[in-house]
Amino acid sequence: MSLSPQEAASTLSDVERAARRSGQAYGYRRASPHLIVWGLIWVVGYATTDLRPDYANIIWPALTLLGVALSIYVGRCAGATDSGRYRSIWRIMALVLLAFVFIGATYAIMRHVSGPQQGAFVPLLVGTIYAGMGLWLGARFVVTGLAVIVLTLGGYFFLQEHFLLWQAVVGGGALILAGLWLRTV
Amino acid sequence: MEQPNPIIHQPVRLKIMSALKVLPPNDAIEFVRLKAIVAATEGNLGAHITTLEEAGYVAVEKDFVGKRPRTRIALTKQGRRAFEDYVAYLRDIIDAEPKAAQ
Repeated sequence: MSLSPQEAASTLSDVERAARRSGQAYGYRRASPHLIVWGLIWVVGYATTDLRPDYANIIWPALTLLGVALSIYVGRCAGATDSGRYRSIWRIMALVLLAFVFIGATYAIMRHVSGPQQGAFVPLLVGTIYAGMGLWLGARFVVTGLAVIVLTLGGYFFLQEHFLLWQAVVGGGALILAGLWLRTV
Repeated sequence: MEQPNPIIHQPVRLKIMSALKVLPPNDAIEFVRLKAIVAATEGNLGAHITTLEEAGYVAVEKDFVGKRPRTRIALTKQGRRAFEDYVAYLRDIIDAEPKAAQ
């Protein structure tokens, strides 16, 4: 039995389709625990900032470090190979450092940024990054990113008095739900 | 390779191998996820995995997560090589077509 060029092309196309689906599912599976971790960080961070806004400068760096440590831990638990694990730890740390530099630089340029503005800026940035990643990695990232953006804007413009609480419950909750959703593939 | 590898060439097994090939080396996929990707029934998928395992192309690992049994499937080095040969075989056929037509 030998194949015709048409049969070979059709078979190769089946191979590529299955590989694409598997790659997408793999990306979802790897991202899922990270979304849940950062959803929990948002819940705790925004809720405590709502209760004690004067401690925000201590709460957020501490929670960010905790989030990075948990992200590294769940990445290791996800079963990456040793070399992949090492690379992924450095990538997470480099990404967080880049995000800190970018956010700090933005606040420095904008000046006089209010608490709610700061509280909205980071989720908008995160939502944009997720939605952008989704253009390559899969539609569920796009949906997650857009949901974070829409919920953040909704809370900022329509519930400004309770914006931090809104971000804790709805923003953090959305990330946790998205993380659980990614696990269903 | 003049003939397609008969173990890989079967459509469901081809999908299984394609799905496993994109995982990093030494990484495995859970049976339930593979079932969703391949869109096969549990019995059908299990039978094809057994064929691939007997050929040495995949490794099956069974363990427990809490009290729930979990089956994970990974591509072996031999399986990765066989799949790459199979894809190369397909590409050779496709690439040969314009030359044959000339």
